Amino acid sequence: MNSDATFSLPNLLCEEDDSSLTEVKTKVSQPGSDDDQYIRSLIEREAESNDYVCVCDDEDSENWLKCARLDAVNWIFSTREILGFHFRTAYLSLTYFDRFNSKRAIDNGKEWAIQLLGVACLSLAAKMEEQTVPSLYHYRAQGYNFESSVIQRMELMVLATLEWKLYCITPFVYLHHFFSKICDEHNCNEFLISKAIRHILDFSKEVNLMDHRPSVVAVAAVLLACDDQLTRNTLEFKIGVVTSIHSLEKECIYQCYNLLKKTETKKNNTPESNSFDLLSNHWSPSSNIGVKRKLTYNGFEQKCPLQKISRRL
Amino acid sequence: MMSNRGNNMNRPEWLQQYDLIGKIGEGTYGLVFLAKIKSNRSKSIAIKKFKQSKDGDGVSPTAIREIMLLREISHENVVKLVNVHINHMDMSLYLAFDYAEHDLYEIIRHHRDKVNQAINQYTVKSILWQLLNGLNYLHSNWIMHRDLKPSNILVMGDGEEQGVVKIADFGLARIYQAPLKPLSDNGVVVTIWYRAPELLLGAKHYTSAVDMWAVGCIFAELLTLKPLFQGQEVKATPNPFQLDQLDKIFKVLGHPTVDKWATLAHLPHWQSDHQHIQGHKYDSPGLYSVVHLSPKNPAYDLLSKMLEYDPRKRLTAAQALEHEYFRMEPLPGRNALVPPQPGEKIVNYPTRPVDTNTDFEGTASIQPAQQASGNQMSGGMGGTHLMGTRNVPRPVHMVGGMQRIQQQQQQQQNMAAYGLASQAAAAAAGNIPMQQRGVAAPPHQQQQQQQLRRKDGMGMPGYPQQKSRRF
Repeated sequence: MNSDATFSLPNLLCEEDDSSLTEVKTKVSQPGSDDDQYIRSLIEREAESNDYVCVCDDEDSENWLKCARLDAVNWIFSTREILGFHFRTAYLSLTYFDRFNSKRAIDNGKEWAIQLLGVACLSLAAKMEEQTVPSLYHYRAQGYNFESSVIQRMELMVLATLEWKLYCITPFVYLHHFFSKICDEHNCNEFLISKAIRHILDFSKEVNLMDHRPSVVAVAAVLLACDDQLTRNTLEFKIGVVTSIHSLEKECIYQCYNLLKKTETKKNNTPESNSFDLLSNHWSPSSNIGVKRKLTYNGFEQKCPLQKISRRL
Repeated sequence: MMSNRGNNMNRPEWLQQYDLIGKIGEGTYGLVFLAKIKSNRSKSIAIKKFKQSKDGDGVSPTAIREIMLLREISHENVVKLVNVHINHMDMSLYLAFDYAEHDLYEIIRHHRDKVNQAINQYTVKSILWQLLNGLNYLHSNWIMHRDLKPSNILVMGDGEEQGVVKIADFGLARIYQAPLKPLSDNGVVVTIWYRAPELLLGAKHYTSAVDMWAVGCIFAELLTLKPLFQGQEVKATPNPFQLDQLDKIFKVLGHPTVDKWATLAHLPHWQSDHQHIQGHKYDSPGLYSVVHLSPKNPAYDLLSKMLEYDPRKRLTAAQALEHEYFRMEPLPGRNALVPPQPGEKIVNYPTRPVDTNTDFEGTASIQPAQQASGNQMSGGMGGTHLMGTRNVPRPVHMVGGMQRIQQQQQQQQNMAAYGLASQAAAAAAGNIPMQQRGVAAPPHQQQQQQQLRRKDGMGMPGYPQQKSRRF
């Protein structure tokens, strides 16, 4: 497939089938001015949406919610894999999840509600992003058996709470553009792209996505994939040449870069566990968050080798 | 949610703000009703009810995408979504739009079958300009419509917006790079007459140029009152090869050639159905004779550039708006139906036929036991009143068959017993007043709204702990 053709976004390119979506475009094409214009319009849109605030500490959210969120996130990622969804679908569902929680309060201890929310968000994201959408019977939450009518009610509640604004930008849409701008041509390969995708996914497990603009996450992930030793100055120098992101706060990018790096460091310091079954224990409400985090990270990693990650951007 | 028990108005709050007039349309997606807002009787609303999705599928993806798109856009030449209502009883969805009395299908038909006279130049040009203006807005917001046809192009009736064109029906529209299902999936039947040649030839990737092809076809139809390429549709799934439609196009425009359309050779059907396609040879393009325009006429020049085979060479909406045609007299205007020049004859188009014998309930798929209550719809309009101003029954294009207006003196509108649905939730979650994009509430107000939302009851029938105020 011609990668130039898939880049001509300003012509509103549409794809009728899945064949091109499953292919990886390892070659990063030279973006034209149209791409710049498109990327700028996306960044503008993020700003207009008022969804995102550049808050780089997330200490104020309740601890039980964080714990329940991690459970939901792990369920979303494992179900994504089982149902064969794109990574961007999982990320999108987390955006819905966090936006819902920023607008409505769920009572302390109602893990079932959080889980149901996770199911509804993934199902909605699939309806937005995926070619074929499985019936609700395929979304099996561990420990709870939600009837499809109950899931549908939750879908409606999410839709109403988000005021039907389901079109949300994810960092994935920016990746190729930022790679082509930030990386040296010969250095930019599939491995780096996969690395950036992994950074984004690991990050999305840890933070409230409402605190970080998708474009900022994308730039930070690309920077980190290329070089994990950037200082404030070298980072600013690198992004200084990228005109399409001039409207973004450099401070936010730098903080996000460090957060991503922190997430990676934490992850690399945890011992590996091969025996962890991704599909079990995800919904046990009283799980120990620390232990769980370690286990699921590694489980997730193993189920998602690099190759696969890059294939389904 | 119990408060409404024993109340005569056993209907959800959202429904009580409307007086239902009747059914005005029906399609694969569901039904469309005409209603008036009680608090402002001069305001007409079209209420589109989505069909129930299959059990186990949850909220229909088509509904989600259409509403999501409509929430993103705001333009004078695009239909305005006023409200989204969720009927919590049966989880059905209703979209409330500003009502438009006319559409191009009916306008063209009226000229062809009733007045036997071409549409005046001013009206054709104004409609086309506004259609392109709306389309240019959509395309610059990265939205392609994919199903433009005369019945989806609405024209406002009497009132402040008289004669303003509105692009409607975003059931197939897509934003950015959202994945597409083949057009024939979902049981959605798209008429093939306005379909671009690249789609007919099986292109997997296509662009906003498909909408411009459709505009070209509509332009020609406004001029001649006949569909330009009226092919016989092959009915089969999935997405069969439409040879006859292509043949109709080739007959008028001549065969496309690889010289003029370089990527032609890569299109699936061009290769696999080579013999069929090239069976007839049409060398002499005859578009000007079909549309009765001189090749020197700017209208012809514009039309032929919209009907360019190669999608990359086809005119864009923005380019079309700059065309010489729109700078010549008569200049296009905002009220497409009433020319500014005195002396021009004004055509009175018939109003949309309304089936006053149908109500929301007749189509609501809720359990029979719950349908049994017979509440009278307050303020329901009598059939005779309607008959005075409305024409004889006529087929509605989007409707499968004929609809008849049944005369009834005092019609009793039997409304569904929606009362079991959680009123609080319906009010809190179901009714989303639409805001103009970019006109966000000031932060303090948003905060207030958010707090209000949090305080709202979150009743979800059938739920554990549904009495909890906080979900």
